[in-house]
Amino acid sequence: MEKLKLAVYWASSCGGCDISLVELGEHLLELARVADIVFWPCAMDFKYADVEAMPDGHIDVTLFNGAIRTDEDAHIAHLLRAKSRVLIAYGSCATEGCIPALANIKGADHALARAAFGEPTTDNPGGTMFQGRYAMPEGVLTLPVLGTQVRTLSQVVPVQYSIPGCPPSHEQVWQALNAVIEGRLPEPGGLLGVDARTVCDQCPRVREGKIRVERFLRPHEVIPDPERCLLEQGLVCAGPATHAGCGALCVKAGMPCRGCYGAPDGILDQGAELLDAIVAGMAGESDEEIRRVVSTIVDPVGTFYRFSLAASLLHGLKTSPLESGATCETQRIPGGREGDVA
Amino acid sequence: MIRSSELDPGFLQEVMAIPGGENLLHCWSCGTCAATCLVRRYDPSFNPRLILRKAGIGMRQEVLSSREIWLCSACDACYPRCPQEIHISEVMRAIRTIAIRDGYAPPGPSAEVDSALCSGCAVCTRACPYGAIDRVPVIVDGLERMIAQVDPNTCMACGICVAACPSGSISLEAVRNEELLTRMSAGGWLAGQSQPEGGKPRILAFVCQWSMRSDAEWAEVEAMQDDSLRVVNLPCSGRVDPALVLLALAEGADGVLVVGCGEGECHYKRGTYLGRGKVALLRSVLEQTGIGMERVRFVELEALQRGALPALIADMAAALGQPARVSG
Repeated sequence: MEKLKLAVYWASSCGGCDISLVELGEHLLELARVADIVFWPCAMDFKYADVEAMPDGHIDVTLFNGAIRTDEDAHIAHLLRAKSRVLIAYGSCATEGCIPALANIKGADHALARAAFGEPTTDNPGGTMFQGRYAMPEGVLTLPVLGTQVRTLSQVVPVQYSIPGCPPSHEQVWQALNAVIEGRLPEPGGLLGVDARTVCDQCPRVREGKIRVERFLRPHEVIPDPERCLLEQGLVCAGPATHAGCGALCVKAGMPCRGCYGAPDGILDQGAELLDAIVAGMAGESDEEIRRVVSTIVDPVGTFYRFSLAASLLHGLKTSPLESGATCETQRIPGGREGDVA
Repeated sequence: MIRSSELDPGFLQEVMAIPGGENLLHCWSCGTCAATCLVRRYDPSFNPRLILRKAGIGMRQEVLSSREIWLCSACDACYPRCPQEIHISEVMRAIRTIAIRDGYAPPGPSAEVDSALCSGCAVCTRACPYGAIDRVPVIVDGLERMIAQVDPNTCMACGICVAACPSGSISLEAVRNEELLTRMSAGGWLAGQSQPEGGKPRILAFVCQWSMRSDAEWAEVEAMQDDSLRVVNLPCSGRVDPALVLLALAEGADGVLVVGCGEGECHYKRGTYLGRGKVALLRSVLEQTGIGMERVRFVELEALQRGALPALIADMAAALGQPARVSG
């Protein structure tokens, strides 16, 4: 039997998704028996030219992690889409934007200015700014340029499946890979590597069920009881509004669920659902009381949309279709590589 | 005419034997409850004093078979005002318990849980203003799970749990998400284009059914509907779903107005506060992302502010002024 051709790519990501593949451990040896890895920049030496040289549809399955932030990310997304029969958005960044997409709150220009001039650890007396092109005597140097908004993979190219998680749990990944290897993939368009229901279904903590919260706390403000529901202890836990699949890892370790497995099945907007679930559990028998509890939520967007901002309804509200693929203002250069980001 | 031969003198004891019903004997029939009753303002056939009186003298059959015993929404506006400190909604509940025992059923729908989707997260059990939802062990696909279960006798069909449930496991006839979406988008309203610069902003109003005090008032607001206004009534402003608000904004509404009852006038105890809380938090989200908090607004319509809604809608339209701005 011909071996499966597998590719792995990282766009704008932290590298955690690649680590989650390494976490497969001895399963990697089993994988190597049935599959050839034809492209994996994080782990093995390949060049983009190697991929460009492949005929279309040459790769059986590509696991694409990372969000689409730069023109390079978008370019490789298009390239791998053409070369792969099955393209899988792997991890939270590729699926729903994840932490990088929180930059969309202020936009890429703000992020660049902050990185170049605003960070307490930045020493930049010459006021140097990141540039996409720089002319040197030896020729023009180029760097990837940022788009105005961080996007998900499926906002740039069509994908068949998504494996959520930041990063995906390696047990789930191995099950999903087995489905690929054994040709048991479901109808395209859904999630792989998840369980039914929400994180609360897998959480061992005890829920009293009627306790309402008078004041929300951030994790550094409290040492929570190890047995009781974190939400009932005043910690914003995203478990009720998060797809099951991780095995409730964070809550078992004493941290509230942050929501990285994304919205449960059939749910339109994870952040909006979490917001509603949190307000519903607030104490308060008057406008003033409920307003006081609401005011204890610090950073609502970062709390409710920590992972899903780019895939949320807010993304569409903020970004016009014309603008979504444009280069950010700071790096827009007359006669430059305008329009590449789309 | 009341015939003493048809009275059941044991009914008083029957009600008083049920927890919550023990105070029935203390009722003087002064009518303070009827004077403060929020349901009565909308439906004059409902009179808590009469129900308690009839139960007290033993009109068992008439009380149990009446439609009125199911109308009390347990808002408890009367409770702090009763000179005899009778928790009237609890007496009402005791009477309903006997009615259900006798084979009568609540006339309206109650919330239903889909056990195939429920994770037992307890969001709904905390949300319910009446404590009508508890988690109970249920065998689903051969596995014992803690699943939410609604007590139809206690459920007042406010819809707060339907909005709160983050996995879409709870539904309530007539206010399911799909139903609301149909009413939001009927006639292609949602697909309409956001108005060009200087045009009339398009507003979607979610209106609590109780904040409108009469059919005439409803008719006036409904007649105002056109391309720039769509009105969707909810059982309570606590039913408002932030996802549907964002969807409306994403699909062509310039603003969403949520209308609830005045402070202390909510028919579902704390529904108005939850509606206000959700809108307040949603506004911070919209402000933080640069979309603008003016796009969503919560207003309270007090019982005596009749006919005020058109002015509130006009005020929001004026505040929106500029149509949807797209910020980078």
